Amino acid sequence: MLRRFVIHEPRAVEEASALLEAHGPEAAIYAGGTELLVVMKEGLAHFPHLINIKTIPGLDTIEASDGMLRIGALATHRAIERSPVVRDAAPVLAELEAQIANIRVRSTGTIGGNLCFAEPHSDPATLLVAWDATLRLTSRRGTRDIPAESFFTGLLETAREHDEVLTEIRIPLPPARAGTAYERFKTHERPTATVAAVVRLNGGTIEEARLAVGSVGPRPHRLRGVEAMLTGQRPDADLFAAAAERAAADAEVIEERFESVDYKRHLVQVLSARALATATQRAHPRETGGD
Amino acid sequence: MIDRLDTRETESVPATGEAATTIRLETVVNGRPVSAEIEPRTLLLDFLRDRLGLTGAKRSCDVQVCGVCTVLLDGKPVSACSTLAYEAHGREVLTIEGLARFGELHPIQQAFMERTAIQCGFCTPGMILTTKALLDENPRPTREEIAAYLGGNLCRCTGYWMIIEAVEHAARLMAGEEDRS
Amino acid sequence: MSTLSHRPASTEPMGAAQGNGAQGLVGLSAPRVDARAKATGEAKYAGDLQIPGLAYGKVLRSPYAHARIVRIDASRAQALPGVIAVLTGDDVLDINPYYGHAIKDRPLIAIDRVRFVGEPVAAVAAEDPQTAAEALELIEVEYEELPAAITLDAALAEDAPRLHVTELLKPGLFHGLGELKPQPGNICYHHAFARGDVEEAFAKADIVVEGEYHFPAVYQYSMEPHTTIAQWGDGEITVWSSCQHPFLVRAEIADLFGLPVANVRIVVPYLGGGFGSKSYTKLEPLTVALARKARRPVRIANTVDEAMVTTRRHGMKAWMRTAASADGRLLAREVRCWFDTGAYADNGPRVVATGADAAPGPYRWEAVKVDSWGVYTNTSPAGSYRAFGATHLQWIGEAQVDEIARRCGLDALQIRERNLLRPGEAVRPGGKPLDADLIGDIQKVAAALDWGTPKPANVGRGLSVGLLAAGAHPVSTAFARLEADGTATLYVSSTEVGQGVRTVFSQILATELALPVERVRVQGGDTLVTPYDRSTGASRSTTLAGLAVQRAGQELRAKLLEIAARVFGLPEEAIELRDGAAWHEGESISYPDLIRAHFGMVGGELIGRGEVRPEKGTGSYAEGPVFWEVCIGGAEVEVDPDTGKVTVRKAVSVADVGKAINPRLVKAQEMGGWLQGLGNALFEEMIYDEQTGQILNATLFDYHVPTIADLPASFVSTIVENEDGPGPYGAKGVGEGALAGATAAIVTALYDAGVRVTELPATPERVWRWLRERDSAAAGGAQSARE
Repeated sequence: MLRRFVIHEPRAVEEASALLEAHGPEAAIYAGGTELLVVMKEGLAHFPHLINIKTIPGLDTIEASDGMLRIGALATHRAIERSPVVRDAAPVLAELEAQIANIRVRSTGTIGGNLCFAEPHSDPATLLVAWDATLRLTSRRGTRDIPAESFFTGLLETAREHDEVLTEIRIPLPPARAGTAYERFKTHERPTATVAAVVRLNGGTIEEARLAVGSVGPRPHRLRGVEAMLTGQRPDADLFAAAAERAAADAEVIEERFESVDYKRHLVQVLSARALATATQRAHPRETGGD
Repeated sequence: MIDRLDTRETESVPATGEAATTIRLETVVNGRPVSAEIEPRTLLLDFLRDRLGLTGAKRSCDVQVCGVCTVLLDGKPVSACSTLAYEAHGREVLTIEGLARFGELHPIQQAFMERTAIQCGFCTPGMILTTKALLDENPRPTREEIAAYLGGNLCRCTGYWMIIEAVEHAARLMAGEEDRS
Repeated sequence: MSTLSHRPASTEPMGAAQGNGAQGLVGLSAPRVDARAKATGEAKYAGDLQIPGLAYGKVLRSPYAHARIVRIDASRAQALPGVIAVLTGDDVLDINPYYGHAIKDRPLIAIDRVRFVGEPVAAVAAEDPQTAAEALELIEVEYEELPAAITLDAALAEDAPRLHVTELLKPGLFHGLGELKPQPGNICYHHAFARGDVEEAFAKADIVVEGEYHFPAVYQYSMEPHTTIAQWGDGEITVWSSCQHPFLVRAEIADLFGLPVANVRIVVPYLGGGFGSKSYTKLEPLTVALARKARRPVRIANTVDEAMVTTRRHGMKAWMRTAASADGRLLAREVRCWFDTGAYADNGPRVVATGADAAPGPYRWEAVKVDSWGVYTNTSPAGSYRAFGATHLQWIGEAQVDEIARRCGLDALQIRERNLLRPGEAVRPGGKPLDADLIGDIQKVAAALDWGTPKPANVGRGLSVGLLAAGAHPVSTAFARLEADGTATLYVSSTEVGQGVRTVFSQILATELALPVERVRVQGGDTLVTPYDRSTGASRSTTLAGLAVQRAGQELRAKLLEIAARVFGLPEEAIELRDGAAWHEGESISYPDLIRAHFGMVGGELIGRGEVRPEKGTGSYAEGPVFWEVCIGGAEVEVDPDTGKVTVRKAVSVADVGKAINPRLVKAQEMGGWLQGLGNALFEEMIYDEQTGQILNATLFDYHVPTIADLPASFVSTIVENEDGPGPYGAKGVGEGALAGATAAIVTALYDAGVRVTELPATPERVWRWLRERDSAAAGGAQSARE
């Protein structure tokens, strides 16, 4: 049962920021509402002031240029899934978005809301961390860009200051001979484990590898030790098996209600091996042309 | 685009100490203009069921998983249980009651009836409206596309087989490929 | 892909059931009579009804698994504007507030003690739901926590806290289980039987398989949560409720509030599913008590988390051993099983008995010994869920049969062909002998699975067969009016939960009256209007209420023939009823004309009555069942050895229904039941915190039910019609067997794929662990002959 609130309708990001500042902890940004309203209905949180940022024009644009894919924070999952720009420039993201929740949530839920809620089982978060995406935050004090990985600071916690509005997700488009793969394992409504891998090849060796793991811990994070052991190596099954084993050991995994920690580590291992193999295959220009 | 809503203060309620504010909602429901004073917290499902008496959309899981409260907002499926009625301002809502026109059933309704895609009926309005959104966007979906689109609508009775059959049947009916009798 | 045996595809199309003569409508897939109302949103469920002056009820529930209520202060809630009444235990002390159709162990609202998390402690009626919810927050309750027994093991321990003084509990109105003896400790009920010398049989056996097994608590998830409206009038109570058994609810309400049953009226609108969750009495007593205090009609509508603590499937622990000879002859089986019935008995005793009946499996044993207990724990009460008992035990017995087959070099089909009971053989000591061709049925399952053909790695195929005591108490009545215009109205109290009972009944009555099915209207249950029917459950409606409908139709038919004979001036044998008229050669008189002739002028009606009661004896559980429902299934599964995830590739069901009155609806039951069985096998499980008794997955986010994504790639359903049932046209019930059959078939298919399932659901993590255990055991090279 929802308790009472008022809805504010700012016309500009600065106005939204001012409202957040004015109402302090009594205010929350309201966009798609798919996470916020459920939490409020359950009585887990209450905000007497909702700042509806959907009244701010221009925050749902999706465009790619100069090696950068820019997605407005108000773009819905459905819009991203179906965007020709995303399908062309980052097909892995389009596929990922198509797997989120269900058609109703995807039709109203926004990528910005998903990221700001920082639910550890978020699909896009894991991929954006692997992609080294940056998130653009704007307040009356100015604008700053923050790497996706530093944005997620803990369980349901982000680096966003209270008066800041996430306006844009900026994804550097992968160069040639780079491949991305995203793997998820799901038994409930939300995934149990998610792994994203980016592999860039140079000749027969791995020039750069990035591996991000999500859902198993409080926040998505890169596994830099694994990345280091891959860099400069020739990609093969043995290497990936060793890397996956290291990934399982290195990943930050927390105890939750359902799957055990050791099973989740095992899933990280399985998904890491799969993601690395697929990403490497995609990095090879003759296979799929990469993405 | 959402227009600005008028707000005005009304009496406060001692239980919570929060001001009860109402806003004016101007929307179109099943093709008919509707104007009402609502509290911002009013959920679209409660507005449809309690204020307009449109009880076709049901309440079950209440967390956007089951789909029995599905209605179409500007043609897109939403969970009315977790959508503010406020969101309907300046937009069009379609509920199951608005699908049949002048007593003539929509081909999707016809298909669900003919293919025994209905048992207890509690999921049926949501299933039919989700199917409408699917077929409006993709008139000839594959089985995989049907499964992906309807994957967020639960049915505990049918085991889904006859629902998938009905969606395929509806697509053919809407394409004029099968006699409706 | 699907097939229907015994029936050419050309007879299946919808819409074919029109304007046929006698018998013409039986066996045709008539369209559902409620389809249009449900497809247009016009169908009304209890939550959709509006009655003048309706108030909204909300329930304050216990946060503790076991506690004494020290003090309740509702004064602040009572003072909140918009609150009409607040009900607490003090408000029901003028009546005996304890109910329970099996054992009267449950107060309609907590009196001095709470026994599970979620037990109603107070209820508020208010002008709107928000106010009611706000009022709940203003009720102060002081608890003194007591030691709690959350698990079966905790409840069965020597020093376990006791939930009830079982010696003082009184039997309820409808347990049907003979004398209910008081049990020690937290035992709620004990059911046992034995025949032959079990010890001797095990001593001489070449092969013995033994194990301990666990089955989880499961949420039925009827998509419509329980919803009840109650109105307290001048010595009269009216209830609109999502209930499966209106007459049993009526009796319990009358008993609780001290009124004659005639002064209690239960009206049943459409139900958004039941699956047993709405059997017997649920929200009704609390809602009536709240309406009595409020002096206003009140609706209480459960949310999903409230529905979960209102009823569930029993969790169970079982120990089973099976003995066989080296050549694959099954010799003996011994079973002990403990059912977790939660804080109150609900339908626990019957679940315990039905589980005991299902435990041996339909095999020819020299000796059998079964002990089955219901156990009170400090968790939410457990009751009925589709195919209870059979779903609990069949997977265990069938897995042991497959292990024996493996050890003696037979395949799963061969061992069943050798040992399955044949029609007419005793299933258990006393009661109905086997009334189905199980060997023929299992061979059809095997054929649909391409039994014996090669299969890829990590793929397994499984068969399962079992029996479920079906029909419950065999008492049903119906009556039918043939109106002056030649249309018929049927009055029968079976609840339309979605199974299509109104459609099947309209086919039966239309057949008997030789009327087009569109001219028959079926009335929903209303105890003031429709006559007694024991219940809607246990796959009984077509068989028993359907027989009452057929008899009502036959009585009308006899009257029509008698009148026609008089009007024609001919013997009855010379007259045929067809297309709504009496015919003699080319000449016809329509039913309206016959009725007019009978009454002298326009007006009047003919009434037919049908009654079903035990043919001999009392219809007790021991004498039964009405029929043995065949629980049969086949599955092909694939296991991902990396993650343990199981995918069902192929689902097979055989519906041994005697006669399919509406084949399409039979198939619909099979498919729906199968998918619930899949959920039970692979992921459905209510998880309780073993310290606090809280349910950890009380939302649909965390409690996963099957979605379209879980569908097997193919489903093959075969209908077997041997016309060997006790119902109309040789029919017997359907709807539950597929569930138990599917769960067990998935387990045996997993066994075939190398996964030994000892606990359900077979989640990916469990499967992964079992595979690791197997691999490490294989690596160790040591495997005992006995397990």
